[in-house]
Amino acid sequence: MAKKDEKIEYVKNGKRLDGRKVDEIRPLKMKVGVLPNADGSAYLEWGQNKVLVGVHGPKEALPKHKQNPYKGLVRFTYRMATFSVPDRKNPRPGRRESEISKVSGEALEKSIFLERFPNCAIDIYVEIFDSNAGSRAAGITAASVALADAGIPMKDLVCAVGVGKAGGEIILDLNKDEEDAPDAVDIPIAIMPRTEEIVLLQMDGPITKPEWNKAVKLGIQGCNQVYEAQKVALREKFAKVEKGK
Amino acid sequence: MEKMIWDIEANKVTSLIKEGKRVDGRKLDERRKVTVLKNISDNADGSAKVTLGKTEVMAGVKMVLGTPYPDNPDKGTISVGVELLPLASPQFEVGPPRENAIEIARVVDRGIREGKAIDFKSLCVREGELVWIAFIDFYVTNYDGNAFDAGSIAALAALNETKIPKIEDDKVVKHEYSGKLKLAKQPLLTTVSKIAGNLVLDPVLIEEKAQDARFSCAVSDDKTMCAFQKGFGGSFKVSEIDECIDLSFKSAKELRKLV
Amino acid sequence: MENKKEEMAMPKDAVPVAKETKAEAKPMPEEGRAEHKEKKIVIPGDLIAEGRKKLGQHVFIENGKIYSDALGITYPNSGTAYVVPLSGIYLPQRDDLIVGIVERETIKGYMVDINSIYSCYLSADKCRDRLEKGSIVSAKIDSVNEVNEADLFDVRVFYGGTIIRVVPAKVPRMIGKNGSMLAVLKEGTGSSLLIGRNGWIWSKGGDQKKLAEAINLIESEAHLDNLTVKVEAFLKGKKVNE
Repeated sequence: MAKKDEKIEYVKNGKRLDGRKVDEIRPLKMKVGVLPNADGSAYLEWGQNKVLVGVHGPKEALPKHKQNPYKGLVRFTYRMATFSVPDRKNPRPGRRESEISKVSGEALEKSIFLERFPNCAIDIYVEIFDSNAGSRAAGITAASVALADAGIPMKDLVCAVGVGKAGGEIILDLNKDEEDAPDAVDIPIAIMPRTEEIVLLQMDGPITKPEWNKAVKLGIQGCNQVYEAQKVALREKFAKVEKGK
Repeated sequence: MEKMIWDIEANKVTSLIKEGKRVDGRKLDERRKVTVLKNISDNADGSAKVTLGKTEVMAGVKMVLGTPYPDNPDKGTISVGVELLPLASPQFEVGPPRENAIEIARVVDRGIREGKAIDFKSLCVREGELVWIAFIDFYVTNYDGNAFDAGSIAALAALNETKIPKIEDDKVVKHEYSGKLKLAKQPLLTTVSKIAGNLVLDPVLIEEKAQDARFSCAVSDDKTMCAFQKGFGGSFKVSEIDECIDLSFKSAKELRKLV
Repeated sequence: MENKKEEMAMPKDAVPVAKETKAEAKPMPEEGRAEHKEKKIVIPGDLIAEGRKKLGQHVFIENGKIYSDALGITYPNSGTAYVVPLSGIYLPQRDDLIVGIVERETIKGYMVDINSIYSCYLSADKCRDRLEKGSIVSAKIDSVNEVNEADLFDVRVFYGGTIIRVVPAKVPRMIGKNGSMLAVLKEGTGSSLLIGRNGWIWSKGGDQKKLAEAINLIESEAHLDNLTVKVEAFLKGKKVNE
């Protein structure tokens, strides 16, 4: 374990602690259509993160006073299993989970033709079974392919990644060790890749304008790597069907 | 709201069972295919994913240090938690566990506890002060009936993988282990539904919709039973319970090879 | 159909308007698919065509270009830009033939579950027979309002039989060109069948087990060619074996 007062070189000769390059994401793979009872679903492994997503709907939004007569609601629930973190997590959902649920749902809203589903809700359930920094990006990325799997009409996919700073270096897809750096800055970012519109952006930690410029460029480049993996997973669904019988 | 389509499908189940057949072509005393995938989460001290037909469960164990109960100063303990995740079925809702989940958790807990799977004394670190508590949490990720058995298999599979963390200054050292958790017995649960007067092993969801009564029996070896639970409004005769018990011994014996 | 697409091509910020026109959109006919064999798998946001084209289902226009809104298959050489989706819930459209289940009685009619977002109201005046909870009916969609609620007409009641559920997006393949697949299913199993556009299939009699297997086969290979031939062979092959 790294002690706070130790001086760690987070990037040495272009290599990071886990051997990655600064612009390299952790190994990412996903599979769609994994849950028979959900209208759409996806399982994703991204580094140590393991995420399962199920989508139900569109269906009538209840209670009725929550209905919007102009467009459907996206209800995103992000939850962590008790054993998904180093210390056992309290099974009750906390404030962190509520906030992530809210911003993640909002990140997906613009990608969906919600105006075709007035008074309806689309429920997205994200369950994290193992984590190591970047689980919200993993959740959003998996949720977007699960929505496509559910046949919900969309303008584009949404892909997400974490970008940030550790040891003075701007790096892509921080892992837990990097996120624990004394000067760490974490910037989760999600885009719709076709138009590069940003649909989720958060940050905690001090950063300068030039650093931000570098980070956002790296983030968008990372999102595009994620997008490629999403495309592969969705196309594989056809391949799976072809081989299935 | 219960959909009418369920009634139509449940009728199908009942009329088939009257002919001695099941919707998925199984025999009445045949279990669905079980798969066990171990180590699904590195942050867990032990974990497993279990599928029982289309029912899917993820289980994880966390070993946590705590103080013992005053009446059992030299014993650790276990705690079982279950969540029926909304993604597993459109019928499950977000929120704290409801009756059904609590019942499943308690029955699985009783099986492991009373089946003496773990010698609680071996979980004692310092008498009266420090003991291990094994938190076994499982999540139903796809629900197609019989979460009792799926949960029981998953919990046991995860326990069999569980490593005991290293302790330094009475605190857990993360990702370092002092050894494996030793299990004394391998208790497993077997659930039978009674539909139209017939006993049906390992019911699927629509069979549960058609069932009059349900009986679960946990056995810890070839001779010893350690937990019973009868559920639903219908009834069983003693001879039927005896039949269920025999099925449980047979079924648990086969399952032990997997976990 | 065109009306629907214009509305989708509106500026993104525009306030959505009531979409009575949506109900006019007809399902893409199964015919004509074979004429333009080349197919392409698309995902939401994929470019379908740059120039002008007739617009079919599951596409939208942005900045003059046509994109897919679904995961599915498109036929680049077709005169119409459209996508056959792989999945999705059933949304009622005018004149669709559906299979429904009576959910409950109301004062002057019934609520019918049609496997969509809402149950349909069915006025008792429109049925010759008295229905009860659990009755299986077939009906046509009369009109659909802006929140996807529909009215029914041309109601028929089934006595006996059961319902097989399939993914609504795959119903066109269950029916086939000019009903070719439906004919193969009926002949091969000896069952009475009515395939609802909503993904519910009423069936009675014949070899129900074989029917379920054949439907399963169509569902899992819905995007492949020569499916009718394959299903026919499957049904015949089974017969020989028995």
